[in-house]
Amino acid sequence: MTAPTSLKDLERKIFRASTQDGIIDIHIGCLLLMFSIAPLLSETMGDFWSSAVFLPFWGLVYLGLRALRKNHLQPRIGQIEFGAYRVKRLKHLNLVILVFNLAALGLGLLAFIGILNLPGWLPLSILLLIGFSLGGYMIENPRFYLYGVFSALTPFVGEYLYQNHGFSHHGWPVVFGVLAGGIILWGLFLMLRVIQTYPLTDQAGLE
Amino acid sequence: MKEQQKFPDNQPLGEIDLIIHAPARLTILMILYVVESLDYVFLKNQTGLSWGNLATHLGKLEAAGYVKVQKGYQGKKPQSKIQLTPQGRSAFQEYKNTIQQLLDDLPE
Repeated sequence: MTAPTSLKDLERKIFRASTQDGIIDIHIGCLLLMFSIAPLLSETMGDFWSSAVFLPFWGLVYLGLRALRKNHLQPRIGQIEFGAYRVKRLKHLNLVILVFNLAALGLGLLAFIGILNLPGWLPLSILLLIGFSLGGYMIENPRFYLYGVFSALTPFVGEYLYQNHGFSHHGWPVVFGVLAGGIILWGLFLMLRVIQTYPLTDQAGLE
Repeated sequence: MKEQQKFPDNQPLGEIDLIIHAPARLTILMILYVVESLDYVFLKNQTGLSWGNLATHLGKLEAAGYVKVQKGYQGKKPQSKIQLTPQGRSAFQEYKNTIQQLLDDLPE
């Protein structure tokens, strides 16, 4: 890692350091797992319930990761409150997520009623690419651009495997399984690195 | 020997605040300048100082009125919040301007 060359760089470096615990990666990986498992469940549970069943799963993941961060990661990384610039930027991120979700909903509706005559995988690819890129830009984390590219390619690769090699469910169980697994593994790697780099230490009466 | 607060006035660095000028304290102030507040653990990880050094330098900055340490608790665990005071912020800005001026005025 290069040394910061300005106060702005330093602020960015500190912000990145506070988001390098892998929690967000594991979270995203668990969200993407739905695209892998839901097609398999839909045969027995139907389209709605095969997706809805993930809500309690995501809730459990969220609570588990929150507890993990509070009890094991934060005591090692420490706590920080950012200044007005960063707080404003993160508020913009919330706005971007809202607009992105509305756009996704709109696109989904247009595709559903048949106005959009696009290959089935294309709207999802575009949304994943834009979503990850915007997220990466707002939190200034380049690996999210990479996630965006991989995610955007995933439905395309799935379609290719389906048409040329007979993979079931447009290849989604395999390709999204690999993508989600890869992101979760990367998150676990980041988490282990934090645990290894910052051991719990006695603060020698500082507190 | 007790540390001088400033270089002698007839030196080019006469206007430099020596409380800030020490590398470890300058690092601490730079970090505090770009955030709202943080705790001991985060500051230690970012500066790479030992607990002892961190305590010593923070003590000097606190004594100069540049830094405020608020002791508190999160649940049963102690949780201190370290912040730059308005006095510390303006002292750091003054230091930044002085150094910048000094280096800008150097002949090529």
